[in-house]
Amino acid sequence: MEAILSRNFNISNAWKLSVAEERGAYQTAKKVLTSSKPEEVLAAVMASNLRGLGGAGFPTGKKWSFLPKNNPKPVYLVINADEGEPGTCKDRYILERDPHQMIEGIIISAFAINSHKAYVYIRGEYVRPYENLQAAVDEAYTKGYLGKNALGSGYAIDLVVHRGAGAYICGEETALLNSLEGGRGLPRLKPPFPAIVGLFGCPTIINNVETVACVPHIMKNGAEWFAALGIPGCGGTHLFSISGHVEKPGVYELPMGVSLKDIIYKNAGGILGGRQLKAVIPGGISAKILTAAEVDVKMDYDSLKNAGTMLGSAGIMVMDETTCMVKMLYYATKFFAHESCGQCSPCREGTGWAHKIVTRIYSGHGKIEDLDELLRIARNMERRTICVFADAAAWPILSYIGKFRTEFEQFITQGKAALLEPAGAH
Amino acid sequence: MTALPTADSRFRGNDTLSALDHEAQKIVAKYDEKRAAVLPLLHLAQDTIGYVTPEAMEWTAKWSEVPVVHVREVVTFYSMYHQKPVGKHHIRFCTGTSCVLRGCESQLNYLKKKLKIENGDVTPDGKFSLEEAECLCNCEGAPMMQVDKDYHVDLTEKKTDEILDGLK
Repeated sequence: MEAILSRNFNISNAWKLSVAEERGAYQTAKKVLTSSKPEEVLAAVMASNLRGLGGAGFPTGKKWSFLPKNNPKPVYLVINADEGEPGTCKDRYILERDPHQMIEGIIISAFAINSHKAYVYIRGEYVRPYENLQAAVDEAYTKGYLGKNALGSGYAIDLVVHRGAGAYICGEETALLNSLEGGRGLPRLKPPFPAIVGLFGCPTIINNVETVACVPHIMKNGAEWFAALGIPGCGGTHLFSISGHVEKPGVYELPMGVSLKDIIYKNAGGILGGRQLKAVIPGGISAKILTAAEVDVKMDYDSLKNAGTMLGSAGIMVMDETTCMVKMLYYATKFFAHESCGQCSPCREGTGWAHKIVTRIYSGHGKIEDLDELLRIARNMERRTICVFADAAAWPILSYIGKFRTEFEQFITQGKAALLEPAGAH
Repeated sequence: MTALPTADSRFRGNDTLSALDHEAQKIVAKYDEKRAAVLPLLHLAQDTIGYVTPEAMEWTAKWSEVPVVHVREVVTFYSMYHQKPVGKHHIRFCTGTSCVLRGCESQLNYLKKKLKIENGDVTPDGKFSLEEAECLCNCEGAPMMQVDKDYHVDLTEKKTDEILDGLK
């Protein structure tokens, strides 16, 4: 398959404007801003079947169409570069290695939604990606690609890069808005949705880094071309992050709907050390786990939903036969207990309580009743809070215990010695 | 009566902050509302002073035109703001799922033994501090850690030695 989003990842210094321009950067944006109408861009993005690649998979064109008509307020475009979902490392490649691809996407997208101001919210720990991105933005301003007369089109676009400060929840779009407004990252109640009341109370579209990077390719090669790369209802390619017990962990650009088995055994070179597969998390820590028997599944939003899990951020984490599921649940609950924003009681109390119980089990003092207690806590967190963080925190508990209950029971009744750090494990 | 030492006595003084006023003005001007400058102002103050002092919170509040208590809320919410000095080199050691799968526990234990510190501590000479971090999203290079600005991947004990011993 021809590389599209990843075509510049291995070109040295592609984050510099001169190199990016040699590779065709900004030509599409220039053409669109000088000869297309915003409605034409919207129509193309709609027809391309581009879906939000940050995790939710919402159709991008549809999201854009929710903006109010005849609105007197400014419209903001906010790019979610707060990559933080454990197992996901794809946006970092665009931000660090090919930021001009994203900036070009921002210019076209802002034009399409009649926005003159865009913010990129990048996670605070991504210092080197931030430096490259900021340098790219500065170069784009110097050349007049951004600013009052973007690309000589007469259309004004300002772009501000905003660094986060270490909070997973800020990847949730309304928490991100509160953080961008200078506050704690607490998710907002919806409705109103950000398209109506977003940043500074104005209509706002929030798109993921990879999503917006697709837009120049759609405008260059056509919506039909993009739609045909994927599967019906879900166009294009996707950057799949794969890590854990595989021979070749990495970020692979593959068509939507590719087989999970193929990614593991073909692209990533199979299970580390020739060991047997035990389980896979297909879409970041929030996605429900799949057993080895369940990996014959296509990687797209609908197929994974039908398999009882989700594509999420397409962060695939592979676990081999030596993996201790109690240990993995210990680290998963630690993560959610640490990152809960504390706003809603079921989540604030539930994540902490669940982590305490799992810690007790992991330290060898668990009771059999703890398992049902954990499931009960998890079910009481689902769908009872402002945002989906609590659901995401519940799913590892429900799926690890649900699918590996015998192992949990053995761990509790026979002691942890048999299962912890088995021979050959890392 | 001798005055008790306050945070001020460790603080490099308000001169440091006033030297940042020009930069602060530029940051505030980038945003549609001044309050949005809270995070970048705190980053700037911390990068300059080493941590967020009470004075830095007041300075941030002044420039972003929000109450100091609001700035304090922000500082305590985010993991990257430090309210006390950290080491000259701050280490964020990833304990995310992928890193656990690729053996981060033994690498982390090695690092702790090497530096003789635990999570949240600073070495007595002030050179290193350690923070066990949630996923830093370099999962393809697990196990990994961040030292100051840089990510270091595929860690082994030898590699950790090389990285840390090479720092001044």
